[in-house]
Amino acid sequence: MSLVAREIEAAGIPTVIIGAAKDIVETVGVPRFVFSDVPLGNSMGLPSDATSQAEVLEYGFRLLETAIGPRTTVQTPVRWPGDGHSWKRDIMNLNSLTQEAIDKARADFEHQKTLAAVNR
Amino acid sequence: MRYIDRTRAWYNTLGYQPYRWPSYDDVPFATLKRSLADSKVALITTAAPVRDDVGDQGPGAAYNGSAKFFDVYSGSTADPFDVRISHLGYDRNHTTAEDTGTWFPIERLNDAVTAGRIAGLTERFHGAPTVRRQRSTTDDHAPEIARRCLEEGADVAILVPN
Repeated sequence: MSLVAREIEAAGIPTVIIGAAKDIVETVGVPRFVFSDVPLGNSMGLPSDATSQAEVLEYGFRLLETAIGPRTTVQTPVRWPGDGHSWKRDIMNLNSLTQEAIDKARADFEHQKTLAAVNR
Repeated sequence: MRYIDRTRAWYNTLGYQPYRWPSYDDVPFATLKRSLADSKVALITTAAPVRDDVGDQGPGAAYNGSAKFFDVYSGSTADPFDVRISHLGYDRNHTTAEDTGTWFPIERLNDAVTAGRIAGLTERFHGAPTVRRQRSTTDDHAPEIARRCLEEGADVAILVPN
């Protein structure tokens, strides 16, 4: 998506990415980025919380209005329910992963690639 | 969260070459031509149109490679069809993807139009394929989406990856 933002911006249209994977977006390099430190899938704010989602969108609007140069990132105050951070431990966590689990993950990955290839 | 490090370690363990994200020194920058209240907004998503023939697409679906798409698509913003994220690697441990508003902000954007915060939306929103081959994105998908934004007179674009 970062590559798409760059292309649209280069065509003269100001862009803002609203997302949750800060290191990825900033590594590629984009004009404007609104970051929320929440699990992937929740770029636009908390589930079933229109106020949170409106707040995140407003950060996007404000960034479009105020950024004075590229690579401008702002972080929203959105916090994931609970302690706000323990979800991070579970992402692609290799600790205590058995060989059986690794084999299954690999088999699943290969299977899904086969399914996706049908749509090419 | 350092997704790049985690992803690299994960796929190394599975026996794959890790994905290498591109990184650019130069970043383009365009300035607003008019106030947001007078601007038409384009929405770009990585979500996929729901299909009847590809199995469970959520909420709560397991990863579904059959729902993946490889060409840019567009849908009406006035009457949007259902878009889901079962083909993407979102956090299935901690979110069930029950509320489309967390990845596809069409309702909040319509609220912003009603409030006068933005002038309106472009006629269509646009779907960006998520593919491993970067040349497909830089040479085909990204230019096509930019072309559609220009064609519809977008003043700004909001992009929501997942």
